[in-house]
Amino acid sequence: MAIDHPSSYAIDVQNLTVGYGSNVLMKDLNFTVNNGEIFVILGGSGCGKSSLLKNLFGLYEPLSGDVFIEGLNITTAYGVERQKIMTSFGVMYQQGALFGSMNLLDNVTLFMQEYTQLSQSEMNLLARCKLDLVGLLPYESYMPSEISGGMQKRAAIARAMALDPKILFLDEPSAGLDPITSADLDSTIIDLSKNLGITFVIVSHELASIYAIADKVIMLDKGAKGIIAEGDPKVLRDTSSDPRVHQFFNRIMSKDVA
Amino acid sequence: MYCPRSLYSLGMVISKSTLIAKTPPVAVWSPIDATNAKILLSGKVDVYTLGGIWTEVQEAQNAWLAQGNASNKTLIFDASQVSSLDGAGMAFLIDIQESQQKVGGTFTLVGLDARYQPLLKEFNPITNLFPVPAVKPQRSFIVSAGMATQNLLDDTKGLVTFAGHLSADLVWSLMHPRQVRWGDFVNAAVQAGIAALPIVGLVSFLIGVILSFQAAIGMQQFGATSFVGPIAALGIVREMGPLITAILLAGRSSAAFAAEIGTMTVNSEVDALVTGGLSPIRFLVVPRVLAGILVMPILTLYADIVSILASMLTMLAYGIPFINFYNGMLAAVGIEDVASGLIKATLFGVVVSAVGCLRGMQTGTGAAAVGISATKAVVSSIVMIVLVDGIFAVISYRTGF
Repeated sequence: MAIDHPSSYAIDVQNLTVGYGSNVLMKDLNFTVNNGEIFVILGGSGCGKSSLLKNLFGLYEPLSGDVFIEGLNITTAYGVERQKIMTSFGVMYQQGALFGSMNLLDNVTLFMQEYTQLSQSEMNLLARCKLDLVGLLPYESYMPSEISGGMQKRAAIARAMALDPKILFLDEPSAGLDPITSADLDSTIIDLSKNLGITFVIVSHELASIYAIADKVIMLDKGAKGIIAEGDPKVLRDTSSDPRVHQFFNRIMSKDVA
Repeated sequence: MYCPRSLYSLGMVISKSTLIAKTPPVAVWSPIDATNAKILLSGKVDVYTLGGIWTEVQEAQNAWLAQGNASNKTLIFDASQVSSLDGAGMAFLIDIQESQQKVGGTFTLVGLDARYQPLLKEFNPITNLFPVPAVKPQRSFIVSAGMATQNLLDDTKGLVTFAGHLSADLVWSLMHPRQVRWGDFVNAAVQAGIAALPIVGLVSFLIGVILSFQAAIGMQQFGATSFVGPIAALGIVREMGPLITAILLAGRSSAAFAAEIGTMTVNSEVDALVTGGLSPIRFLVVPRVLAGILVMPILTLYADIVSILASMLTMLAYGIPFINFYNGMLAAVGIEDVASGLIKATLFGVVVSAVGCLRGMQTGTGAAAVGISATKAVVSSIVMIVLVDGIFAVISYRTGF
């Protein structure tokens, strides 16, 4: 397969315009994500973070621009090539999106059954390892409807990791988790990133978690229709002169600014 | 334009083998002597390269452990040649380690890069990853029969309770017409009524043709073809028209109501109504049942007319002119026959829409539950139609109506 755009970046976004029809949410985004980096996308509710994520992993077609995942252009790929890109990353959706008719173990093994030649017992062990990483080992035979929302999210992370992808997209992984579970999850994410070199692209609002894990953040703004800040979150918090960024990182109410 | 691209561009199916590059095996089993063996791991160990090799190595290990005393056997797991190891590689390592330690053998891990150690530690103790498979208790016949009876009783109780609530809320709505959700009522009436006109027309036309054609074949032998029209028309207005329309409404609207309310139940929207102090029956069921009451007689009348026209056309082929058919029909079919059919149709309308809503409210959790509810709605509606039709037949036989 030809490399469309040789680069050392895990994800390279070029002039990406995100939106629906005539409703443009983001204009001409340019950013890159390094291999093994924990990259966090920030922004107020409704600014289009989840839509941007869906454009990054190719679920929606962008209005214009290109997204290269490990050098391959996902916006133009189709057929086998597209499927190959799709198996190189894992996605956790905001609501978990587990398959309701399967228990947790089957949810995790589903993609392995399709793409690998492992035996069922091997896949089960592998799936148990994934569930163990997110602290759900005792719940392997539960149906998604029998566990809480936070557990569903964690199970969805386990499913996203099923094929050991190099890139993981997580849409608000720590929202709705208790502080202990959230800290455990952060530590697992750091372990996976530092030791296995997995790249994470995370949409999150949890400031505590962002300071703990993020190597780099970009902050989106609805009014600016683009990136208003980029860099290390702690540095942005302490040094940014942009009032919107300052307000976000220091949890200042809107009325106090106006 | 945005569109979920994966819907069309993933059409091509990729086989398992296309993703797996041909590389030398990542794990090699080599026995050293009777009590020592070695597994050499090399290269890129991942979920694809381990396919098949995992099983091979494990079988070799099990065969080796099965010979003689396993507790003095030592397995060396050499990971020094590994270029990259991911979650699957760790699971493989854990699997081999567990098999070795389960029978009391010794497992020695050498050469594993330090960066993999923290993640490997997260899986301790590894015995947790190998649960004892739970045995499902078998139910005896008596227990199953008892549970089935219990379900039937619960279902009947639910039906009676629902009927009570619905009657109360219907009466309340009639006394407070301004409180009825007329917007929902109009939507439901359009979906169940106007949108159903083509299919009701098609089916009743065919029924009219078939009914009179079949009757004509028999009647022709007695030279009584001219009586086919009156008989067919009577059958259509009293029985076939209401029945066909009700079954079509069960298939279209009852299932739609069940799926719609079922999805609302799954999404906790019904719970939100209840905690907001609103009766879900008054909010969701009453407008739909009222729509059923409105559209069923109208659709039935329409079905009657189309069916009779179809019958007229068919009989034209047998040499019966329209006017003869018309006069014969007027002699046989009175206004009370049409009224009887329409009253029955109204009852069907209540039953079909109410049962659809009830099944929707009884939906469990998950996407599959909505499908089950829609299926149950259609089946229960048809059973209820037959039941109501039977009761109506007895009443009309006794009273002569």
